[in-house]
Amino acid sequence: MRILALITVIITGIILIYGTVDMPDWGDPNSPASKHVSPEYIEEALEKTATPNIVTAVLADYRSYDTLGETAVIFTAGIACILILRRRRQRK
Amino acid sequence: MIAAFDFMLLLFVIICAIAAISVKDLLSAVYILGAYSFFMCLLWAGMGAVDVAFTEASVSAGIGTVLLIAAVSKTKRRSKD
Amino acid sequence: MFDFIVSKYNYWIYVILMMIGFYAMIGKRNLVKKIIGMNLFQTAIILFFVSTAAKRGGTLPIIEHGHDHGAHAIEAAAYINPLPHVLMLTAIVVMVSTLGVALAIVIAIYRRYNTLEEDEILRQRK
Repeated sequence: MRILALITVIITGIILIYGTVDMPDWGDPNSPASKHVSPEYIEEALEKTATPNIVTAVLADYRSYDTLGETAVIFTAGIACILILRRRRQRK
Repeated sequence: MIAAFDFMLLLFVIICAIAAISVKDLLSAVYILGAYSFFMCLLWAGMGAVDVAFTEASVSAGIGTVLLIAAVSKTKRRSKD
Repeated sequence: MFDFIVSKYNYWIYVILMMIGFYAMIGKRNLVKKIIGMNLFQTAIILFFVSTAAKRGGTLPIIEHGHDHGAHAIEAAAYINPLPHVLMLTAIVVMVSTLGVALAIVIAIYRRYNTLEEDEILRQRK
């Protein structure tokens, strides 16, 4: 069982390392991730939201509904913990 | 980020990960996981992601460790593997 | 060849970390060890996403002299990419919610079967 798990892990790791060969170099300024939409956010965030910290501007201004949904996730997790850990009253 | 510092942190992170899954005492595994989270937080602060770094330091290394310690103290501490 | 290794070794270390977590999830029998493996797995994925935001020669995504309203133009190449950071902030919070629910289920399993080892639970269920 443990040998089977080890073989699965090694095969998956080799496939993933083969996939990194086509990735852009680490810290490359011309990688596709930093060329497509992020320059617009960096250049327009200050004049549109008046917030110097761009991460906070995107989190609370551009994506505030996403943050609201995240709060709903935390609420659901808390309710689920209470429902699982509740000791049921024993009826006699 | 300085290359030698980066490499050293990545090495510490891997050592912490292997130790956390191979130690037999569950409470020790939880402490090593807290150390892993703080090394990860240093790595992110070095990459420039300061918001992610302090969220990790407060949420994952703080609340996560507290939740794990509570769960281990409610159940058994010994593990067979 | 040396340049190739220098520009890619970070990704290989992330893959190794992720595989350590994956092995703990499918190879270990203790349930808390499985949860620790899940935490390692998620942290490795977050590390990978944050590393795609890194730019050589870029600084933190906080605009300097932001409150002065100076006339200087903002260059996108001088700041690192902020979007993966935002997405990973959400992912960290979801990770801790998952951890809490998983630990609650483990405590409920321990109350019922009085053990945390997977093979003993399966033996008791027979």
